[in-house]
Amino acid sequence: PAPGAPDGKPLYLCSPFVEAALVKGNFKTIVMLPKYVDIMEWVAMNIYDFYNNLNEFYGVISECCTNTSCPKMCAGPTLNYTWINQERKSVHLPAPTYIDYVMTWVQNLLEDESVFPTKSGHDFPPSFPATVKHVYRQLLRVFAHIYHSHYAQILHLRSEPHFNSLFAHFLAFGREYELLEMKDVKGAPGAPVGIGALYDKWREMGTVEA
Amino acid sequence: PAANGKPADYVYFDRSTSSFSSDAVPRAKAAQLKLEHYYKLSVDAAVERNSRRVELERKLQGDVLMPEERKQRQLQQLGKKESTFLRMKRTKLGVDDFRTVKVIGKGAFGEVRLVQKRDTGKIYAMKSLNKAAMLQKDQLAHVRAERDVLAESNSPWVVQLFYSFQDPLYLYLIMEFLPGGDLMTMLIKYDTFSEDVTRFYIGQCVLAIEAVHKLGFIHRDIKPDNILIDKEGHVKLSDFGLSTGFHKQHDSKYYQRLLEGSNAQPGAAANSRNSVLVNSINLTMTRKDQIATWKANRRKLAYSTVGTPDYIAPEIFMQQGYDKACDWWSLGAIMFECLVGYPPFCSQTTHETYQKIMDWQHHLVFPDDVHLSRESEDLVRRMITGADRRLSVEQMKDHLFFYGVEWDAIRQIDPPFVPQLRSITDTTYFPTDEIEQGVVEDTAPDSNSGSDLAFLGYTFKRFNMGH
Ligand SMILES: Nc1ncnc2c1ncn2[C@@H]1O[C@H](COP(=O)(O)OP(=O)(O)OP(=O)(O)O)[C@@H](O)[C@H]1O
Repeated sequence: PAPGAPDGKPLYLCSPFVEAALVKGNFKTIVMLPKYVDIMEWVAMNIYDFYNNLNEFYGVISECCTNTSCPKMCAGPTLNYTWINQERKSVHLPAPTYIDYVMTWVQNLLEDESVFPTKSGHDFPPSFPATVKHVYRQLLRVFAHIYHSHYAQILHLRSEPHFNSLFAHFLAFGREYELLEMKDVKGAPGAPVGIGALYDKWREMGTVEA
Repeated sequence: PAANGKPADYVYFDRSTSSFSSDAVPRAKAAQLKLEHYYKLSVDAAVERNSRRVELERKLQGDVLMPEERKQRQLQQLGKKESTFLRMKRTKLGVDDFRTVKVIGKGAFGEVRLVQKRDTGKIYAMKSLNKAAMLQKDQLAHVRAERDVLAESNSPWVVQLFYSFQDPLYLYLIMEFLPGGDLMTMLIKYDTFSEDVTRFYIGQCVLAIEAVHKLGFIHRDIKPDNILIDKEGHVKLSDFGLSTGFHKQHDSKYYQRLLEGSNAQPGAAANSRNSVLVNSINLTMTRKDQIATWKANRRKLAYSTVGTPDYIAPEIFMQQGYDKACDWWSLGAIMFECLVGYPPFCSQTTHETYQKIMDWQHHLVFPDDVHLSRESEDLVRRMITGADRRLSVEQMKDHLFFYGVEWDAIRQIDPPFVPQLRSITDTTYFPTDEIEQGVVEDTAPDSNSGSDLAFLGYTFKRFNMGH
C-alpha cells in the first residue's frame, strides 16, 4: 500500500482518484451496436482499439514492471495468474514476461487474416466469438495487474483520468457484449481481484452501468 | 465527509517523476493525447454514423411509393457500408499497399506519384510529404489545412482525398488521379489561349474557388500548377498547402521567411532602389529576355520550397489581414497569363516580383503586341486591383467577359481540350521525363515520439471510398 492510503485501501479506490475520468457521461453512445451494423465488425474494431490503447499505457509504465518488481504476474494480494505453456502446463511467470506473451499473442491474432479479416470478401471464422472472449480475459488481466501493482506510477505520471476511462470503457463494452466473466472481474473469495472492488464502486457511482 | 470537506478516504499523493527515465514523461503525455484524440474521434464517428442513418431513414419514410422490402434492403446496404468502413479502420494502409507506376509531379516536400492499389487495382495519385523537412520548415499548419480541406469536401471542383496515412518518414495523401495534367504544363505547351478557351478555364476556376470559399477556406496559393484537369477536361483545384480557414491565420511569418530565403542578393535587394547593381541588371535585360528566362525557369520554380510569388495578392505580403478576395487577385494574374503568355509581374528574381506586386499600379501593363478585347482587359483590371475594389464572385459572373456563360451548366459543357488517354495509367500530360524517377529518398528517421505527435490525427479514411 502506498503512503497516505488509509487502512491499506488501494489508491485506485480512494478519493479523488477513483472519480478521476477523462470521459464524462455515459459510455453507451460509443458502446452500443450501431443500427444495421455487423456485430462482428463492431466488436473486432473495438478489440483492436482496446489492445492498442492499453499497449500505449503499458508501454509507458513498462520500465517499472520488471522481473524484480513483479516476479509473479498478479492482480491481488493473494492472486497470481498462471500461463499455460506449450506443454499445456500452468506456469508462474514474471509479470513483464506474462504481459509480453499476452500482447504478442493478441497482436498476432489481430494481424492474422483468418481470425481478424481485413480484406474484402473474407469472413470472420465461426470461432471468432470464443477467440474474442479469450482475448478479453487476458487483456483484463493486464489491466488488473497495472491497477494492483503500478497505480502509483500512473498517478506520478498524471495519467489516472485517462487510464480509468479506458478501463471503464473496457468494462462497459465487455458487459454489453458478454465478453467478461464476472468471476474474472471479481476473482475467487480466497483470491479476490483488486479491481473487483473498483468495478463495484464504479457501478455504485454510475460510471459503468449497474 | 471529513471536517475539511473532503471524503474520509481522501488521499494527498505527492506526485513526482524523479524515479522515471527521461522519456517516460513525454511518453505518458503522448499516450494521454492519443487517448483524448481517440475518444474525440469515437464520439464524432458515432454522431456522423447516426446522422447518416437518420437521414436515410427519413428519406425512406418520406417515400410513400417505395415498397417496404426495398426500404429494408437500402437500410441493410447502409449497414454493410458502415461495416466495411469499420473494417477499414483496422486495415493498416501503407505505401506497400500501392505500386508506383510513375512519378508525375514534384513539390517542395516530396513527390506526386501515379500509383495502383495492389488489392483492388484502382488508380490514384499519391502525394508524399517529408515529415522532417516539414517540421524544420514549420509547415505543420499547412499540411493539416490541406488534409482538412480535402477531407471535408465532396465538391466536384476539389480533388478528392481517399486516404491519408503516415510512416515514420513521410505523410501520404491518396487522391483521385487527374490524368489531364495541370494548367502550368498546358501554358508551357500552348503559350497563350484564345479568349474563348480562357473563358472556359477562368470560368470553371471561378466556380472552383467559390466552392473552396463555401467550405470556409481561403486557398491563398492559387496558381496554374494547382489547377488540375480531369479526364473529361474539367478543372479541379488541388494543393491546399497554404490554405487556411477563415479565422485561422497561423503563419503570418511564412511570407517573411519566403522573401528572406529566396533573395538572390541578400541585403542588396532590400534597399534595391538605391542599388546601382540591381538597377544595372534590370537595364541590361529587355522585357522579352526576362519573359524567356522566366519561362525557362518556370518548372524549376514550381519544384522549389520557395515557390513562385507571381500570383500572390499584395495584401498577403503586407500581413495586415486579408480575406477570400486574395484568391480573386490570383485568378486575375492567371487570366492575364492565359491571354498574354506570362504573368503580369514576372521578373528575374522573386524579390523583384514581390516589389512589382506591391507597386502593382505601375506594373500592371498590357503589352501592345497582344490584342485583347475590352471586356477581358477590364475583367483582369477588376481582379488585379485593391482588395476593397475587387469584384465579388457574383459581380464576376455578371461581367461582360462571361456574357452568355451558363454558370449552372459549365461543368457539363464540352471542354476545349479533352485528354486523349490510351489507358487508365497514361501519363502523357505530365512532364515525367523531366522528373527523376528514383525512389523516395530516405532521411534518418526521427524516433522521438514528440515529433510523431505533431502529426497525430493526420490519418484519414473517406467514408465513401468507391469511385
Ligand atoms: N491528384 C493529382 N492528379 C494528377 N496530378 C497531380 C495530382 N496532384 C498533384 N499532381 C501533379 O503534381 C504536381 C505537384 O503537386 P502539388 O502542387 O500538389 O504539390 P506541391 O507542389 O508539392 O505542393 P506544395 O505547394 O504543398 O509543396 C502538380 O502540379 C500536378 O502536376
